[in-house]
Amino acid sequence: MGSTLRIAWRNLWRNRRRTVLALAAIALSQALVLFYGGILRGYSGWTVEAITGPMLGHVQVHAAGWRRQRSMDAALAHLGRTLAALRRDPGVADAHARLYAPALAAAGEKGYGVVVLGVEPAAESGPAGLLRVTPALPAERRVLVGRPLATRMGLAAGDTIAIVGSGADGSLANDLFVVAGLIDTPVDLVNQMGVVMELGEAQGLFAMPDGAHEIVVHARQPDEARALAERLARLPELAGAEVLDWKRLEPALVALVRLIDQVWLFMLALVFIAAASGIANTMLMATYERIHELGMLLALGAAPRRIVAMVVAESLALGLTGALAGSVLGASIVAATRSTGIDLAAISRGAPRELSFAGLSVSMRIYPSLALDHLVQGVLAVLVTSIVASAWPAWRAARLEPQQALRA
Amino acid sequence: MLALTPHATRTLRLKAWSRGHDHALIVIEDPPREAGTATLRVGTNLWNYLPRIARTIRVPPSMMLGSWMGTDLTNDDLVKESSLRQDYVAKLEGRVVDPPGWRLALEVRPDVVGRWSKIEIQVTDDGLPVEERHYDRRGRLARVLTFDQVKTLGGRRLPTRVALVPADEQGRRTELHYLDIAFDVPIPDDTFSLSRLEENR
Repeated sequence: MGSTLRIAWRNLWRNRRRTVLALAAIALSQALVLFYGGILRGYSGWTVEAITGPMLGHVQVHAAGWRRQRSMDAALAHLGRTLAALRRDPGVADAHARLYAPALAAAGEKGYGVVVLGVEPAAESGPAGLLRVTPALPAERRVLVGRPLATRMGLAAGDTIAIVGSGADGSLANDLFVVAGLIDTPVDLVNQMGVVMELGEAQGLFAMPDGAHEIVVHARQPDEARALAERLARLPELAGAEVLDWKRLEPALVALVRLIDQVWLFMLALVFIAAASGIANTMLMATYERIHELGMLLALGAAPRRIVAMVVAESLALGLTGALAGSVLGASIVAATRSTGIDLAAISRGAPRELSFAGLSVSMRIYPSLALDHLVQGVLAVLVTSIVASAWPAWRAARLEPQQALRA
Repeated sequence: MLALTPHATRTLRLKAWSRGHDHALIVIEDPPREAGTATLRVGTNLWNYLPRIARTIRVPPSMMLGSWMGTDLTNDDLVKESSLRQDYVAKLEGRVVDPPGWRLALEVRPDVVGRWSKIEIQVTDDGLPVEERHYDRRGRLARVLTFDQVKTLGGRRLPTRVALVPADEQGRRTELHYLDIAFDVPIPDDTFSLSRLEENR
């Protein structure tokens, strides 16, 4: 066996050009599969983040029935106590409240239908917040207005708008506010309809002391959102409230993401098959090319089994070397792009920097990441392909009459 | 006035002026959050004045059946109060023993487009209302008004509490308690004008 391996390795370097070509083909295929798989992983995380990041969070709390009717008085009461209880849970990274109130806003004579959003500006200003990176929102009758809405209403920062709506108790909510700034958020609804104010101010305007309509919870472990939701629902402070994880809040989005994931998986399979057939082609050619030489060995009295073993060992050594080189190459490409990301907008020239996805706009930058299982699967697949692609022609050659093989 | 919902009870103190059947002004005096909010009615037009934004908003026809200030009263109730005699055909249904009085059934005239197909009214012998039952256009009971706590206010005997209970909404109820009434007082003409509404609140 030892001698077979030695001979195989020596044979490999006898035809240097052929071996280098085969190695390059294998290494490139493996690198491609790894890189593509890395993009896929980055993409999948990207869509989930786009969905759960700014708008949904991982778990949401509402008063029972609010999601269906969105009626003002279906509110969560004792907000301070509830938030404190949520924040005590070890699985909760952060929890903050929002208030949603339909209202009319007017700068001049004409009124526009808007949604007043009462938020905790500090909590919403982070990368996973609704406001993303806009300047902090001061209280004192100041609001932020979505840029498209402001354009429609002809508003600029510093203008005063009147807001009229209905309070949770049925009273007429009305007051004047100064536009502190225009905002571009990742959420279409906020850009098109949103008048954002500080939560306490919204509570005062709409007669909802210590109340809100929604609590958004970000989990420390996003994968465990469902278990977290079930645990939080058992908190005594949340009795009677509806606690749902994002997958149950937006089943349609989840289905869409799954569909996209499947399309990408299918394409990964195609890349994989293309890579495997490239390797198989190289191996088949390399072995067929040597039928003459194998016939010579047969004529000299080599056992057919030994010949097959030798060719397969050669092919395995080639495949393994190529796969390892490819893994190193692929991993370095992923490592090189993982922190800066790949800007799809720059690649497809003229494409927008941001993409609107189910009412959420997401950056066109993807951050690939390396999956160990992709690497292992790639190496294994290369090895299997090398064995199959070399054993079959070697076996055929070994069964030939030496005379025939010599003439081939 | 008390507005009760399953979630909360809200109390408002109102001051109202009216002249004839088609001029009225209602101003909220308390709580402070809503003080100064006013509704002006002239004929079938209705305006709400919002003091914090210093603006008058006309209640559009499409909002007539909407709630007035979050109570179970509709804007339409403020406008249509005088038309019982014109729009309905009254029929005497029979005697009521307690309190002694009569029961009337009012069927809507065929050519009238209104909210109620039928109104049943119970009155006492001295002409005070006890109960009104309003039926919608499909003949279903929509709401019940009850009148009680008869007292002498402003020199006249009248029920000082009116309760409105919608039939289809559990737990909702609006009560009007009359604290003081003055009749036949001179009211300046401009009381019921938009400019007065806007300048003096």
